[in-house]
Amino acid sequence: MFGISNMKRSTAGLIAVAGATTLLLAACSSSDSETTDSATSATGACQGKTIAFVMGAVADPFFNAMKVGAQEEATAQGATLVWQGDKEYSPATQIPVLDQVLATNPAGLVLIPTDPTALQAGNDKAIAAGIPVVNVDTRVGDISKTVAFITGDNTDGGSKAADAIATAIGYEDGKSYKVVVGLTSKTATTNVARLEGFEAALKANYPGIKVVDVAYSESNSAKANTNVNNWLTKYPDLNGIFAIDGTNGTGAAAALQAKGLTGKVALVGYDAYPDNVKLIKDGVFTALIAQDPGAEAKLAIQDICTTIGGGTVTEREVVIPNVVLDANTTEADLKKYTYVA
Amino acid sequence: MSTATHTAPPSRLKEFVTNQQFILFLVLLAMIAVFTAFNRIFFSVGVAGNILADWGPLVLVALAETFVIVSGGIDLSVGSVCTLSGVVGAFAMRSLTEGGMAPYLTLVIGALVCIAVGCVAGILNAVMINYAKLVPFIATLVTLGAAAGLALVFTGGGPIAGGPSEAIQLSVPWLGPISTPIIIVFVICFICWAFLHKSRFGRYTFALGSNPFATRAAGISVYRQTAKIYILSGALAGAAGMFYYLRLGSGAPSSGLGLELYAIAAVVIGGASLSGGVGRISGTILGALILTTVTSGLIIVGVDPNWKQVVVAVLIAVAVTIQVFRKSEGKAS
Repeated sequence: MFGISNMKRSTAGLIAVAGATTLLLAACSSSDSETTDSATSATGACQGKTIAFVMGAVADPFFNAMKVGAQEEATAQGATLVWQGDKEYSPATQIPVLDQVLATNPAGLVLIPTDPTALQAGNDKAIAAGIPVVNVDTRVGDISKTVAFITGDNTDGGSKAADAIATAIGYEDGKSYKVVVGLTSKTATTNVARLEGFEAALKANYPGIKVVDVAYSESNSAKANTNVNNWLTKYPDLNGIFAIDGTNGTGAAAALQAKGLTGKVALVGYDAYPDNVKLIKDGVFTALIAQDPGAEAKLAIQDICTTIGGGTVTEREVVIPNVVLDANTTEADLKKYTYVA
Repeated sequence: MSTATHTAPPSRLKEFVTNQQFILFLVLLAMIAVFTAFNRIFFSVGVAGNILADWGPLVLVALAETFVIVSGGIDLSVGSVCTLSGVVGAFAMRSLTEGGMAPYLTLVIGALVCIAVGCVAGILNAVMINYAKLVPFIATLVTLGAAAGLALVFTGGGPIAGGPSEAIQLSVPWLGPISTPIIIVFVICFICWAFLHKSRFGRYTFALGSNPFATRAAGISVYRQTAKIYILSGALAGAAGMFYYLRLGSGAPSSGLGLELYAIAAVVIGGASLSGGVGRISGTILGALILTTVTSGLIIVGVDPNWKQVVVAVLIAVAVTIQVFRKSEGKAS
């Protein structure tokens, strides 16, 4: 089969190129450019308009849950949702995506900036072009011209995580405890706010608990796993882990299970990924701080439509409250707050 | 048809001391000494276990890369293929578990699925290189994108769990720092060593990397050899995907992200030449071990992990400098 004639070879070459092209297209579509037409009878300012949603990273169920909410609301408003983003949570890859989206001149833009400084220019460019912009989840540094900023309360989430860890380790004043925090990025505003909330709550209410180490997983659960494995060796007397997002949670949960430390080291995670919710029952996660990404996205689309219709959004900074899921949470609530897979 | 490097030996001692593997071994010992000096806990079974757990998947893809690089090619797709295999394997194991299959049999079948996915990717690479005449860099770049994308499409971004709960338990070390998957990796390392350095397949691989035209003239099918090498590379990347599955208990669409660059770094640090025809399995094994030692060391000592990239860059620069130095010395004598 390897000694085929030139003609056959060129045919095979063509087939190979065609195959490769198909795969490339598949790869491109993975960086998610799904356009969904919604021709419902809903009337309103958004009827027939295109709303672009530039999000953080496709490899995250949190954003998938957000997409479901955004799509529902766009359909209800009769608008077309363009959902765009790269596979990495990184300003370097998000900026070109945002530029492309702005080139299509959408009627409105919902942006999840992956960096408060790096995305400011793109955010402002859209506003200068007359496109109403809403920031969701994270925000750019200056939001004075954006329509609104809608987020989960990350500071409050961090503070609730501190309470959950303190309860799990049976905190007593005067004793000292060690905890570590697994983060994804040094600059993502959600990470920063959660860590601030966590540390502030420790300082105020649980001064005996000390954050002895932090590390970054870059949205990679294998890296998160490596970090936690090494921490568990470095601190044989570790009391708790705060995994600041879903990928860190996955890595930390695997490390605790492998080292037989389930229940011995408290693990508080963030985000209700389906697999992590299951691990609450097994006692691997002490608690999960769940957000409501669908509600955030819905409100963002509503705000865009209000602005397009000439209205004014009065509530410019909205905080959607968190829920703590733990062993005492009812089955119905667990189901309600679990992010769609 | 030369293997490895060949300096005219002025003395056996000098040859031994300037040997790349020996130098790597010294570097490794020095690192262990430095990290231990900063934090005594570094010199422990626990840390050794952590290092080996990281080393397992890295060395599998680095072995894959060694064959490809020795043959004068490059495989950029190993990281993504590792991810995709782990994800597809995870789906297979989930359905088998739901269907009530025995856990260990499920894991074996899962491993075979992972390796099969890797082989398919390898075949795709080989077809693009042999028939579409794409250079390996481009062909495997295509597969890199496609595999990474498909892993995200299939999973929707989240990890795929639901397979046998025995998976994570299997990666618990029981022989000092050594776990069952690590023993399997040792065996694979040995097989790869025999393949590259003791078999006709290995000789052809070196021949291809040294001089493809002479290889063809000698009557060796360059197409067939290239195809075999890329399929082997894919299979090893698939095995790495299974390794990650055992570590995380799920197939995560992020687990092999950027792994190809560390694999290439391990191979280059191990003394292989990117222009082909030079490389050793022992070098790759040590190169991968040095990289994972750096990862754990920086965490244990408490240095910002972002320094890892800087340390890796320095290691590559040193390794390549040694190579160039030895090459010119070899010519002079």
